[in-house]
Order: sequence, then C-alpha cells, then structure tokens
Amino acid sequence: MKISVDTGKCVASGQCVLLAPETFDQDEEDGTVVLLAEEPPAEEQDAARQAELTCPAAAIRLADS
Amino acid sequence: MTTTEETPRLPFARANALAIAPDYETLRQQAPISRVLTPAGDPAWLVTSFEEAKEVFRDKRFGRSHPAPEQASRISHAAIQDGPSGDFDTEEQEHKRMRRMLAPAFSAPRMRALGDRITELTTRCLDDMRAAHDADPGAPVNLTELLAFPLPVLVICELLGVPFADREHFRNLSERIAMMDGGADAQLAMTEFRAYMTGLADAKRENPQPDVISDMVAVQADDPTFTDDDLARLAAGLLFAGHETTSTRIAMGVLFLLTDTTRRDRFAADPEGEVNQTVEEILRLTATSGTGLLRYAHEDVEIAGTRIMRGDAVLVSSDAANRDAAAFADPDEFDPGRTPNVHLAFGTGAHVCIGANLARTELRTVFPALFRAFPGMRLAVDLDDIVVRTNRVAGGVDRVPVTW
Repeated sequence: MKISVDTGKCVASGQCVLLAPETFDQDEEDGTVVLLAEEPPAEEQDAARQAELTCPAAAIRLADS
Repeated sequence: MTTTEETPRLPFARANALAIAPDYETLRQQAPISRVLTPAGDPAWLVTSFEEAKEVFRDKRFGRSHPAPEQASRISHAAIQDGPSGDFDTEEQEHKRMRRMLAPAFSAPRMRALGDRITELTTRCLDDMRAAHDADPGAPVNLTELLAFPLPVLVICELLGVPFADREHFRNLSERIAMMDGGADAQLAMTEFRAYMTGLADAKRENPQPDVISDMVAVQADDPTFTDDDLARLAAGLLFAGHETTSTRIAMGVLFLLTDTTRRDRFAADPEGEVNQTVEEILRLTATSGTGLLRYAHEDVEIAGTRIMRGDAVLVSSDAANRDAAAFADPDEFDPGRTPNVHLAFGTGAHVCIGANLARTELRTVFPALFRAFPGMRLAVDLDDIVVRTNRVAGGVDRVPVTW
C-alpha cells in the first residue's frame, strides 16, 4: 500500500490523524496534512483506508503496491 | 406531508427521539433532491440521498452567502442557520482565513493532548451523577443536566477561554438564538451573545491566555479586516456549536445504548474495544435538526438531473443521507459493526465541522467512562416519554432520566 496526499486540496480537518496517527500528522501552523509514512504500519492499514474514504477534501489516495 | 401535490414543509414529525421522520424516505424514493418549504415557509431544495448530499457539500458552487441576501429564502426565525451569512464576494477567502486561523487549535494532536483533561472533567461529572443518585437513590438522575450538558461546556470553555461560571448566561443565549420561532427575541439574544464575546475578547487583549479567543485576538492585531464583529460572531458560533452538538450526541448515544439491553451489555462488557465503532454509529444515527445544513447556490447548478438556480436555498439533510439504504445496509439498524462507516454527521468538503476531532475525542472518552461507572444503568422512563426539541435548530432532548 502506498499513500499520497494532496496538500493543496486538504482542508485541515485532521480526521486522518485521529484515525492513523503513525501515518498522518498535521502541520502546526495551518493544520494541513503531513504524511509521516508513505507505507502505513501494518496495524494502521485499515485506518489508512478509512482515512481515504472519510477525508472531507478527497485529498488522500491509496494505491496497492 | 399529506398529499404528493402539496409541497412538504419542514420540520417533519418523527415517532421518537431515535427515529427520523418517514417523510425523508418517501421523498428520497421519488428523487434525491426535492422541493420543500422551510419552517419559515419559503421555498428550498432538500437533499435526502447520501451521494447527492456529499456532492453538494463538496461543490464549491454552494456557499453560505447569497448574491442578493434580501431576496434569499429564509429558513426559520432563529438567529442562526436562518438565512444567508457572510459576504457573497469574499466568502471563500474569509472562510479560508477562518479555517487557517482555527485549524491548529482543533487539530488531532491538540485534541489528543487534551484527552487527559477531558477524562478528568468526565470523572467530575460522573461523581456528580453518583452523588445525586446517592442523595436520593429512588429518584432518577437527569443525565442531560449532570453530564450531557456540563461536560461539553466544561471542555469548550477551557478550549476557547470562556469562564465556566458564565454557563447559565450563555446557555440561555444559546437556547434563545436557536429557537426556530424566536424572531425578535432570537436576534436580541444574538446581539447579547456578541456583546458577551466582545467583552471576553477585550479581556484577552489585556491579558492573553493559551486559548482560542486569545489566538483570534492575536490574529486580529495583524489583520485589521478581521473586525470586532467578525470575531464576536465567530466566537459565539464556536461556543454554540461546541456544546449544543456534542451534548445532543451524548444524550442520544445514551438513549441508543439504553433502549436495548443486549446493546448496552455488549458495550459495557468491553467499552474500550467497542467505543470507536459505537461512537461512529451514534454519530451516523443521531437525528438533530429539522432542516439540515443550509447552502445557497452561487451559480446555476445541475445535480442528479435537477436544475438548481443561482440563489436557491439548498438544505442538506445529513440525518436523511446517513439513513440512505443506497449507502448503508439496513440503515435504521444500530450496528456498530459497520465497516467502513463513512457518514456525513460532520458534513464534508471545505465546510466540514472544524470540531470533529474534539467531538470524537469527547465521545470516545465519555461512553466508556460512563458505562464503567454505571454498567447497569437503565432508562427511568419510556423512550416515548423523552421529549424531542422540534423547535430548536440543533434539536436534542431536554431530559434523559436514568437510574441504576
């Protein structure tokens, strides 16, 4: 699984960070998404999928690798 | 709604606190977007299907402002969600500034850091519930008064920097601004609410604290276009939204869990394991407002074959969308096992609820703590005796009497 994020689309809701804190973080200045791991840790793979589905800005993409 | 020829008028009646009005399903079966009358009697579009609700939420051609505000459909005679807000030409820019200013304060890392404090405040509320029960063991405890209301208020007060001691004052103002038939009194309450917030902002200007109102005051010092009135309006909005909404979810969540003993026992047996999924299901099923969230079309838009004209009011019913069988199997069933459970309780798109992480953090704390403290808790009245506030913008219930 490989994750990409589009910070231009991101609306800084941070819902991905609450779901998968080892995979996503938020910029301290403006709250936009910071990708911590392109490949999420095994225990966060489901959460990362959920983050893609729930992202309010559709700014998260997952690709199977 | 009596006949198909008559344009249905909001709000629709529902059977009890946990149900939604059957009219939404009736309308959705005809079309994803229907013509309705608002509680104020003006025409609007009502979105009842999940896909179209998501589409409208995400489409930048819909906003909260109106090209000609004086001609806009009015939603109700409350002082919030009643009609257009903001300036048509600058809305997007203003909205972006507001989000940029507030996003860090409501970020997931900040909410995580707040977790221990929320746990402490929850314990305090649960102690009050226990004390009330012990003082008169035969009498029911009103969970709304001792937990569902005070907990979100305690939390949002700390976050914003509002004195908890003022709670009865802003509770009264919050109730009055949200009365759908409030009229002049709702407007008067909004004026008082803004004056209260202006007073707080003045105090923070003198003596800044680590809180959101101080942050806003600091932003204002660098940006003179962010007026005192903008600040007061935004702060009042945050205080209102920060407690009314979560308060209702706590009350409704307890009702969902207590109206089915199997459901309650399953949760009480493993609260930490069940909580995240249970909270999402409570969020999905909680029906709040009788109108849905308000948008105005900023240009002509065609959605699902329906032509919406520039300036038309569009009400997006998350309550209805979250029970659309096209998106959720057995949509009226409370089933924490749903994966994924991608609902629209916080909306989506650029206007998605900025407090979503705060709400989730509070809800994920309160339910396990509550059912660990009182695993045998039960509702002290019938569900049908729980009175739903149909005349309030944020909905909710006044009393949830429980015992154990």
